[in-house]
Amino acid sequence: MASTPTTAGAPQPAVPRRSSLFSLLGPYTPLVAALVALTILGNGLNLMVPRLIGRAIDGYTEQRPILAGLVLELFLIALGIFFFAYLQNVTQTYASERVARDLRTRLVAKLSVQDHAYIQRVTPAVLLTNLTSDVDAVKMFVSQAIASLVSSVFLIIGASVLLLSINWRLGLAVLSILPAIGVSFFLVFARVRKLFVKAQAAVDTLNHVINESILGAALIRLLNSQHLEYLKFLAANTNARDISLSILRLFASLIPAIVFGTNLATLTILTLGGRFVIQGSMSLGDFSAFNNYLFILIFPVIIIGFMSNIMALAGAAFQRISNVLDTPEQPDSGTITARLRGDISVRDVHVTFDAKSVLKGVSFAVQAGTKTAVIGPTAAGKTQLLYLLTGLLKPDSGRVEYDGRSIDDYQKIALHEQIGFVFQDSIIFSLTLRENIAFSKTVKDEDLEKAITTAELKDFVDGLPDKLDTIVSERGSSLSGGQKQRIMLARALALNPRVLLLDDFTSRVDSTTERKILENVQRNYPGITLLSVTQKIGPVEDYDQILLLMEGEVLASGTHRQLLDTSPEYVQIYDSQRSTSLYELHA
Amino acid sequence: MTRNEAPASTSYTLSSATSREATATVGTALKRLAPLMADEKRTLALVLLAIIVSTGSALLAPVIISRAIDVNIRNRDFLGLLGLSALLLVIYVAGLIATYVQTQRMGTVGRRVLFKLRNALFTKLQELPLDFFNQNKSGDLISRINNDTDKLNQFFAQSLVQLASNISLMAGAALLLLTLNPRVGIAALLPALGVLILTRLTSTWVRQRNLKGLQSLGGLSADVQESLSNFKVIVAFNRLDYFRQKFDEANQKNFAAAVSAGIAGNMFISIFGLAFNLAQLSALSYGAYLIAAGQLTVGMLIGVLMYVNSFYTPLRQLAAVWASFQLALAGLDRISAVLKLESNMPIATGEPARSGPVLEFENVHFSYPGGQEVLKGGTFTLERGKTYALVGPTGGGKTTTASLMARLYDPTGGRVLLDGRDIRSYQPEGRTRKVGFILQDPFLFTGTIRDNILYGNETYQAYANEHIVGLLTARNLDGLLARFAQGLETRVASMGEGISLGQKQLIAFMRAVLRDPEILILDEATANIDTVTEQLLEEILAKLPPSTTKVIIAHRLNTIANADEIFFINAGDITPAGSMQHALDMLLHGKRAS
Repeated sequence: MASTPTTAGAPQPAVPRRSSLFSLLGPYTPLVAALVALTILGNGLNLMVPRLIGRAIDGYTEQRPILAGLVLELFLIALGIFFFAYLQNVTQTYASERVARDLRTRLVAKLSVQDHAYIQRVTPAVLLTNLTSDVDAVKMFVSQAIASLVSSVFLIIGASVLLLSINWRLGLAVLSILPAIGVSFFLVFARVRKLFVKAQAAVDTLNHVINESILGAALIRLLNSQHLEYLKFLAANTNARDISLSILRLFASLIPAIVFGTNLATLTILTLGGRFVIQGSMSLGDFSAFNNYLFILIFPVIIIGFMSNIMALAGAAFQRISNVLDTPEQPDSGTITARLRGDISVRDVHVTFDAKSVLKGVSFAVQAGTKTAVIGPTAAGKTQLLYLLTGLLKPDSGRVEYDGRSIDDYQKIALHEQIGFVFQDSIIFSLTLRENIAFSKTVKDEDLEKAITTAELKDFVDGLPDKLDTIVSERGSSLSGGQKQRIMLARALALNPRVLLLDDFTSRVDSTTERKILENVQRNYPGITLLSVTQKIGPVEDYDQILLLMEGEVLASGTHRQLLDTSPEYVQIYDSQRSTSLYELHA
Repeated sequence: MTRNEAPASTSYTLSSATSREATATVGTALKRLAPLMADEKRTLALVLLAIIVSTGSALLAPVIISRAIDVNIRNRDFLGLLGLSALLLVIYVAGLIATYVQTQRMGTVGRRVLFKLRNALFTKLQELPLDFFNQNKSGDLISRINNDTDKLNQFFAQSLVQLASNISLMAGAALLLLTLNPRVGIAALLPALGVLILTRLTSTWVRQRNLKGLQSLGGLSADVQESLSNFKVIVAFNRLDYFRQKFDEANQKNFAAAVSAGIAGNMFISIFGLAFNLAQLSALSYGAYLIAAGQLTVGMLIGVLMYVNSFYTPLRQLAAVWASFQLALAGLDRISAVLKLESNMPIATGEPARSGPVLEFENVHFSYPGGQEVLKGGTFTLERGKTYALVGPTGGGKTTTASLMARLYDPTGGRVLLDGRDIRSYQPEGRTRKVGFILQDPFLFTGTIRDNILYGNETYQAYANEHIVGLLTARNLDGLLARFAQGLETRVASMGEGISLGQKQLIAFMRAVLRDPEILILDEATANIDTVTEQLLEEILAKLPPSTTKVIIAHRLNTIANADEIFFINAGDITPAGSMQHALDMLLHGKRAS
């Protein structure tokens, strides 16, 4: 078992799908072997039943009293079949769930060593599909396909051998019908499978329309565009129905055809077998056994067809899972764990995203313990700049340095412990408020307290029924946008960071609170290096440095005064906000 | 309902999405589906006929075979045997045709019913007010509707035909078993009865196990989704262990629940197999006794054994189909729960056209279902062509006030008058033509910017791009469009992914202004737009026709500095602030709700 290679590790694109699907089973060899053994035992017993019934019937015909032993034998066989079938079901359930569980564990273990850029590139939606429906497809293969295939092949071979041994001429006649059924089933099913793919796509479209109509419910009601949505839906629904109807047309002819094929075999047994019985070359019991074996034969032929579908789906799903599992890991090459002073330097950094240049040769330096603001219009690349500084994003070229050493030289964990990042979008986990704020494990109680006070959350927390132990969640909670954003700030501050990165922190907090919070930060976290991405000049006028970022380039940098003298773009922004500053002075 | 009496707020909360218990029986399910099948009567009659013929053919065959054995084979009459074989062939061909008709027609009915059901569900979703979407988490709602329709799809597309033909086949086989020889028949059917009783006794237990399995699976994907969409926070705060740990827990829990559900569910497969073998055994041994007593022929016994087969094979298939049937019933149950909901915002009739101020609040009260009062008797008037600002702390009721102006909700007390007429008396087309609203969280549809700007705008839908650009230029919106690389044809990915919040707000702004509304409401519509662009937006707003009334909700004071009047909204009270300075004082010293 240990020698069987698993798919983890080396990429293996050249290996055909099916073999890689079976290679997945390597670590479960004992389980699979048990499954195969149980299946064969159960089905072997199954094959004995028609023979015994045939013997009983011969007993009647020859006016022999039926043997009590025969009844007992049949009874024991029935119990045996039940026993083995049940064990087989338990084994395949257990095996399939274990495979699914282990596959999920491996996927998540893999994901948890990937960087943020990888998750963004592959997208969370795709990864979720990998972890749910793709794993389910593989599970289906283990739980149904293995046992079904083994039992089908076994039954077909076993029943054929028995048929031929009872009467080879009649056996051959009956068996000649099987390939016809098998081939026609396979041909039709190949076409159906293509339609299944289409049908799934149609259902996806349908769901997409439903999703947008739910998420955009407010807009649709404001614009009274319900009819428009209905038309979109109707088109998708009609398409789904039509594909489904064409699948039906194929199936509607397939199933009766198979039944008819079976019936022709019955007819052959009756006519030809009847003739043999009349001629005396076959007993009536054997004649009856023939009929029973026919029923045993047909089912596996159909099952194999269905299983080929499950295996194709599972193979494709496993391929997608393997793609994730085979992604090379990016080991953390950084070793520095020293405490940061807080000097930041960005040198000629370029970043492209979706073939679009987001940052074009950005350079600047920030001294430890100072305050820097980045100002710029929508889509100027401000957020990407912060991602660079946290290592969430890697530059295409250029360097990001802390205290004169490249960011890659730092151990990631050590770096993240010292950089507090307040994201623009509020991300709240379904945990208690305490766990949300003290999200990093290193947070001590006094750090938590200080962070809450600094973020002006004390009153809010005290007002909650369970205080810090209140469970909050992203949706459906009564947290306002401002509260969420302050929780995000407290989460970053609770790290007791050396560097604090704020991304448009102020967009949903009113200016009074904002001012208080920034004062708190200055007071409670002396010596912190602050880098704030913002839209408003007012609160950052006294900062040590202001960078004007536009279209991915630093247009100007300096203090507020310097920029007013040198940068017309800055003056324009300043003028556009002057009224604000005026009022904020009053306030 | 009299016109002045506002409806009490309606609860739209759907029962927990995780409950998968079918409370409906087959009967109520049929009753629910009956209206959808009303025009299928002729097809259903044909299907019924086909089922009778195909069942008859399937059941007649064993009679003929047992007769062939008893009479022809035992009497060595090969010619007679051939005659019966020919008859059998005829019966099989009839069965072939009938099965085809039955599968094809029944399947078509099923798919058509599903089609209608989906349409009905979607239409209902469109009729329901925003309240419904607020009271049910959108994620839950989406998965609920997708899953339930999918379960129905699987049932209608795959299991329905099987269900119908299996039941008729079983009924026929049972009947023939009993007529062939009542005593052997009963002996052969007893194991089925035993299985049936056992199934009934254990069904709650099995269902509970299944429910647990499904719940743990739901929990698993919810956890994964949360972690993956928040991956940046997890990375930035060194909590990959949190992701792994939380997942491992959920994964292990799901494993245990799934194994236990699987074992419980699979038990029946083997029990049905056992029942079949026991039925053969009891028919055989009891038959032996009867043959010995001269009350049964061997041919009849072979016939009995064939009927045992044609009774138990569909029974075993039914066991597999039954699970899908139960899921479909539960799905239908929950879909019916949505279909039964009625909009609590009917259109009032008989209101005479009057003229008055463009918008008026008359002692308006509002509370969300089960919540505290958000507005406590707000009364104010908005004059045509003026600009109003709504300020106040977060959670104070600004967005609610604005939503009432656009009739996203109805007040729980008092009236909202649009042009002097109760807003509830307007047809939706009339209301939406007058009121434009830019939402706090802009929503974009998959497609292009053009699709999104023209969304819901029937008039301009067919215009060429140049024409649209002309229309945008006339409203000074061309500068905003220029910010998108491919102009009108810029792609918008699913759910607007890859487009920044600020850019989404710009698109929403163009969409609203292009509709030339009489009242334009901006709810924090520029919060994520830089101030230079925001100034551009202000210029655009200033150049709107002088009759346009503007209502602006904003945190940034400069956005509201040019307002003609400022309302301070806090803790359910709407107070005119008089001057900007007074508004600021209130903001600074007023009691905060947040």
